Amino acid sequence: MNEANPVVLVVDDEVQIRRFLRAGLELDGFAVQDAETGADALRWATLKPPDLVILDLGLPDMDGAEVLERLRAWSSVPLIVLSVRSNEAEKVRLLESGADDYVVKPFGMAELLARAHAAMRRHVRVSTGEPVVKVGPLAIDLAARIVTINGARVMLTPKEYRLLQLLAQHAGNVVTHQFLLKEVWGSPHLHDTHYLRIFVRKLRQKIEVDPTQPRILLTELGVGYRLVVPEGASQVAAAN
Amino acid sequence: MVGMGAVRRELRGSAIALVMVAVTTLVVYALTQSLEVRRGSVIYLLPVLLAGWHLGLIPALVAAVAGVLWSGYFFFSPYYSFYLARPNEILNLVLFMVVAGVTSHLANSMKTQTEIARKREKEMGDLYAFSRRLAGASSAADIYLAIQEHLASLVQRKVVLFGTGDGGDRDAKSDQSALSQRVHVAIAEVQAGRTLATTVDDGAGDIWLIRRVSQKNADFGVIAIDLGSVPPSDIEEVRKRVDDVLSDAAATLERLDVARALNDAKMRSETELLREALIGSVSHELRTPLASILGAATVLSKSAVIAKDERLTSLAGVVRDEADRLNNDIQNLLDATRISREQIRPRQEWIEPQDIVNSALERRRRRLSAHTLSLDVDSNLPFIYVDPVLVEQAFGQIVDNAAKYSPPGSPITVAAKRNGRDVVLSVHDEGVGLTAQENAQLGERFFRGARHAATTSGSGLGLWIAKAFVTANGGKIEAASAGADQGTTVSIHLPFATPASQPEVGPDE
Repeated sequence: MNEANPVVLVVDDEVQIRRFLRAGLELDGFAVQDAETGADALRWATLKPPDLVILDLGLPDMDGAEVLERLRAWSSVPLIVLSVRSNEAEKVRLLESGADDYVVKPFGMAELLARAHAAMRRHVRVSTGEPVVKVGPLAIDLAARIVTINGARVMLTPKEYRLLQLLAQHAGNVVTHQFLLKEVWGSPHLHDTHYLRIFVRKLRQKIEVDPTQPRILLTELGVGYRLVVPEGASQVAAAN
Repeated sequence: MVGMGAVRRELRGSAIALVMVAVTTLVVYALTQSLEVRRGSVIYLLPVLLAGWHLGLIPALVAAVAGVLWSGYFFFSPYYSFYLARPNEILNLVLFMVVAGVTSHLANSMKTQTEIARKREKEMGDLYAFSRRLAGASSAADIYLAIQEHLASLVQRKVVLFGTGDGGDRDAKSDQSALSQRVHVAIAEVQAGRTLATTVDDGAGDIWLIRRVSQKNADFGVIAIDLGSVPPSDIEEVRKRVDDVLSDAAATLERLDVARALNDAKMRSETELLREALIGSVSHELRTPLASILGAATVLSKSAVIAKDERLTSLAGVVRDEADRLNNDIQNLLDATRISREQIRPRQEWIEPQDIVNSALERRRRRLSAHTLSLDVDSNLPFIYVDPVLVEQAFGQIVDNAAKYSPPGSPITVAAKRNGRDVVLSVHDEGVGLTAQENAQLGERFFRGARHAATTSGSGLGLWIAKAFVTANGGKIEAASAGADQGTTVSIHLPFATPASQPEVGPDE
């Protein structure tokens, strides 16, 4: 196994899930480290700091949320949670405690890889200070505070820009309502989801080809919003 | 109204009273002859008293009159003559007459009181014993037996119970068949609920009282009581007493019935809980391998070896799609148990209607790939205040049905429109359509159209779940179809508040 390959720590107690994750991740150029329990995961995370963590919530020894919390105490490693459907409140809680994104079981490999790459890409962007985020035809220059579509300048109000900026910083990953509300409007408006609905509608009218069928700014029902990175657009693992 | 029987009874009593007076007279005559007794008219009070006690008021009065006459004969001068010489003696006799009258009346009423008291005491004793039996009864059969025996002792005649279910009437089969035709007809009337209680002459001179055991609950059966040849004026009183007895008994029967119903309900709910726990755990157990199957299929389809062979890629696709479908069915099972346990608590928030539509379609992109999908979504639809996750699941269910019940290649049109005070999300297909009868049953739990049961798989839960989710959000689902093979339009109507209450946001800087 090549030293240059990014390391992914897969935390899941189900052997069959670990098997297909290993196959899929190795095919994508990752070096895979398995962990069956929460304690195992925390040990491996310190022993051999990974570039990515994939964390299942149902572990035999401790709650996945606890693993996340203890890991986040000292590490900002990109982390994707494997969640079950119809528990939006739990997804939001995990995202708030520092998970970068989630996929809902059962999931396809492509979906997981897209989320993982987006999370890793953000990590790289933060550490290198890369100023421009490209999402399909949309380019957001975070340094110059300029937004263009296919090179043409898009005029945004300050709050619209702030909203898009936050989404762009997490491009490809979901951003919760609460996070956006707190960052754009401040803590008193943490539950005024309708502010977001109104501003997202305005934003879509400016950046989407057909605002009724958005392709860039997508809604994650009950959770938040996501700027979509077209599949295959960012191959961090391969590039590294 | 005094019948011939009563006259005969009074005449007989009077005759006996006269005989008693005659006997007294013989004794008095003997006494006056031997002892020269001249003050003894009080002795004639004796037959009056006896007649009053044993024979009634009229014989007592007859005895009094006779006693006065004989007192005059023996004790007032001139002796041995009915003629009275002195006026004060006439007064004496009148006084005797009054005393005798009062005495006879007192004796008679005392006798009546004693009889009533004795009867009351017996009835109270019976009733007390009856109550004790009721209190100790542990089955309906005990109660019916107690009713039968108690009423039989009360009326001193036959009592027959009908339709009491629990075997209380098993012993009574022979009694039942012995009843006359007219009684049977009356019982049938009460059993059919045309009347709660009735009386009937059985044709042999006996009056029967027939009524429900419980006025409230027909399930407790019917009772027929032989009252004998009672005068019609007495029926009402007997009826009241029977009512008293039966109201106690019916209350006890109801208590037992409630206890039994509670017991049944407890058993049912335990079974239900067990069933749901089973579905819950089985579903969870099935999901883990499904996640492996689906994940593995997606890894396989990307591997270089398989990706270059179209047949293998499509096989991997089949594995993925079927796992996906199975996952959907499991989700439906889980949702169904959530609904039947009333665990649907909508987390409502303001949401853009198109977000729900787009999200549902995005999730089903693969499943819809065989159809031509067209979208007709109004821009600037009002925001709606719903649980977006539940509505998306409901809408997705409708989209799934459209894809399932229309041929591959046929168009599916998805629309989101404003209609009055509703936002309407609809799905139109050109598939198998709905007959009027199918439309009426649509959305019932486990309903599946008979035309497709053999050709299309499904649980009949999908639309039922969709309905529950939409209803929980204050909306409704409607289906329209011109008939079989004419296509179907299913729509979700969600009310939005008036435009004035649409959410607002402060100025942007």
